[in-house]
Amino acid sequence: MTQREHIPQEDLALFAMQALSAEELAAVRLHVDQCPTCRADLAELSGDLAGVALSVPQQPLPQGARQRFLDRIAAAAPAPPPLRTPVVSIAAARWPRRAAVWVPWLAVAALIFVAVSLDLRIQSLNQQLRQQAALAAQQASASSHAQQVLDVLTAPSAQHVLLVAAKTPPQPSGRAVYLAENGGLIFQANNLNALPENKTYELWVIPANGKAPIPAGLFRPDAAGSASVVLPPLPRGVPAKAFGVTIEQAGGSATPTAPIVLAGAADVSGE
Amino acid sequence: MTENPTNPNSPSGRTMDRYSGHREEPGASAVSDEVLLLHLKINDQQAMADLFDRYGRMVYSVALRVLKDPGQAEDVMQEIFFQVWRDPAAFVHGRGSLGAWLAVMGRNRAIDALRRRKPTDPVEEVVLPSKTNLASEVERNSVMTKVRAVLETLPLEQQKSVELAFFEGLSHSEIAARTGDPLGTVKTRIRSALTSVRKAIEA
Repeated sequence: MTQREHIPQEDLALFAMQALSAEELAAVRLHVDQCPTCRADLAELSGDLAGVALSVPQQPLPQGARQRFLDRIAAAAPAPPPLRTPVVSIAAARWPRRAAVWVPWLAVAALIFVAVSLDLRIQSLNQQLRQQAALAAQQASASSHAQQVLDVLTAPSAQHVLLVAAKTPPQPSGRAVYLAENGGLIFQANNLNALPENKTYELWVIPANGKAPIPAGLFRPDAAGSASVVLPPLPRGVPAKAFGVTIEQAGGSATPTAPIVLAGAADVSGE
Repeated sequence: MTENPTNPNSPSGRTMDRYSGHREEPGASAVSDEVLLLHLKINDQQAMADLFDRYGRMVYSVALRVLKDPGQAEDVMQEIFFQVWRDPAAFVHGRGSLGAWLAVMGRNRAIDALRRRKPTDPVEEVVLPSKTNLASEVERNSVMTKVRAVLETLPLEQQKSVELAFFEGLSHSEIAARTGDPLGTVKTRIRSALTSVRKAIEA
């Protein structure tokens, strides 16, 4: 089977349920490993199967199941450091002389045991420290990059240039980048007409589910006609079918007022 | 006496304040799965207890539906959550919905136990879309209600095919042999049923 001949959805569904024969499973797996399209389909089908799993009536857990699990993970967790070092009682006065000979050796053995325990604990803590440091460095790097992106997008001194076909007179335009999953939106506009003091532009998200447009921020252009809206407060998980810009009274409006001066339909990827 | 901040039995540990550095937006009812997974990486037992409280019943119920034996179903559930505890990095954000992954894992491991075979799907191979936030109990209940409703309205042949494939772990040829239907018909029925489920979830 080549990458061009995708796995039929019926077979992918059976593959996801492990309901194919061993030979068929192997063939599908081979293809899926190399085919992003079929992997995406498989993910969707697995989501459907999760839905089927969720349809099962919820049953109460057996008594004590939670505690049994917590005991298990507690037992598997790294051992806490010993609270006290073992005490070696040297009651030599009451011991026979032969036993007293072993006392120093017992003390040495106890000290070695404590040293080894401490060493293991230190190694464990060092490992946790390294993991945390790596995680922090990763987050700091991601945060720095995100801040840099925001700085470029929002800096008043940034040059906003829209490239169009040569000899085309500049037209008002806007570009929205929207991630429905977390409600993130970045909008940039160029060549906007100036507005009277009592007016403002307002950006709108038009939900794909047909519900009312969601206000996504007020903005006024600078002297060059540029403006941006960065991460306005929006609900999460609302796919958009379009974006629009209207002119409203200075305080903004809860519903868009015609006409829509800028509009754009969203494609399937969300932009 | 100092209270152990990672003690999952500690009443103070049950509050969401312990995740204050990762709190969701105001009004959110619970921390996200991603935050809990992050805490698992530093062996936070309370975070594991919270994940267990969130999804334990769901995984157990799926396993019980397949195995029909409470003891075996609990074993399956415990193994799955213990796997998450031992290796939370195996499930990272971006691979999809943790709730959906646990639901599928519950079914797959239960079928493995039913058919007495070794686990056949390493964690890293299962990736799921995250269209719904199953971390929210309200959302979970909503998905359950919608899928149940659509499954009940499917033609009986489709219901039977899904039952045999999903909950009994039969292969398509075994289903065809049992029902006397052609292989192609069995495949089409299962696919049609899943399409209906998808529409119900997305509705």
